[in-house]
Amino acid sequence: MSDRALRLAAAIVALAGIAVAAYLSWAHYADSAVVCIAGGGCETVQESDYAVIAGIPVAVLGLIAYTAILALIAWDVPIARLSAAMGAFMGLIFGAYFLALQLFVIDAICIWCLVNDALIAPALAVLTALRLRSS
Amino acid sequence: MAAMKPSSSTRPSGRTVVLAFAGAAAAAVALVVVALLFRSNGDAPPPSPTPGVELAGIPQDDRVLGKPAAKVTLIEYADAQCPACRVYSENLFPTVVDEYVRPGKVKNEFHGFPFLGPDSVKALRFIYAAGLQDKLWQFQEALFRNQGGENEGWVTDDLLREITSEIPGLDVDELFVDAESDEIAADVDAAPGEAQAAGISGTPSLLIKIGDAEPYYVQVSSVEEIRAALDDALEG
Repeated sequence: MSDRALRLAAAIVALAGIAVAAYLSWAHYADSAVVCIAGGGCETVQESDYAVIAGIPVAVLGLIAYTAILALIAWDVPIARLSAAMGAFMGLIFGAYFLALQLFVIDAICIWCLVNDALIAPALAVLTALRLRSS
Repeated sequence: MAAMKPSSSTRPSGRTVVLAFAGAAAAAVALVVVALLFRSNGDAPPPSPTPGVELAGIPQDDRVLGKPAAKVTLIEYADAQCPACRVYSENLFPTVVDEYVRPGKVKNEFHGFPFLGPDSVKALRFIYAAGLQDKLWQFQEALFRNQGGENEGWVTDDLLREITSEIPGLDVDELFVDAESDEIAADVDAAPGEAQAAGISGTPSLLIKIGDAEPYYVQVSSVEEIRAALDDALEG
């Protein structure tokens, strides 16, 4: 995969991350509008004690992180590449933490959180790390 | 990272990259620890000792709260386990009661839609049983304030006894007998089908019925919106 393709893929994945985090941020603040739909899970995850860190919803933290990573991908100097990879790597660890919380602690799955934690965050970590190897 | 190519002058060396990732991992772990320390509330469930909404003095007949002559009926479909229903009950329901039901303008009709799991079904049996003693509304409101985690088995007999013993005029022993009755079981079994037949796909779902007209669905997420919807119905 060429660096150009890797960069494009990383940017697209970061954009997907922004979209999911933006939706979850919106859902967090509009919580009274959210309805429980047949299928379960509903908003238990977003209502849990773990959804807010020091007053900041984790979805908002995710939105900030993905936006910063996208900016670093756009900037694309060596230090920006490294920073993007580090940021995505931290996102991967955070995603694993939230995944474990949903499966083992909160006992509820929020589908968009799952998409982020199990797909978007790992994909971005891999893509940004691979770019460090390319010339 | 072990497979990193030798460094060039324009990009960080392999050693720098390894150090950077180690630093990022340490920072992420530190943040996870911070997240655990500073999560919003801690583990303590919030059992509320006092009633959230005063319903004393408002007529109640089985599943209907309010004066029978009220022209406008607010129909609510709810699942005792649904966090959104709890949010509605805590934030919007008090306004509905104080400004519309108590003055006799609106009556409120409860329908169960137990779709989230076994705790939902058990809770609805007791909600409907409380209706037989015309205490359904006090009970469902108290149950929402004591809501536990989804399908964690939180609707225990102990919790039910604790909540119901605080409702004046409710015979707790009779409630437990009624909740196990065939009549209530049949009502609860039929509830999901009735909700779906009414076009309900989630909870809370609110419908407004003016007189005997066909009920219509309203989507509200704030006190202002429910006021507007009810005022509109009262004028119509």
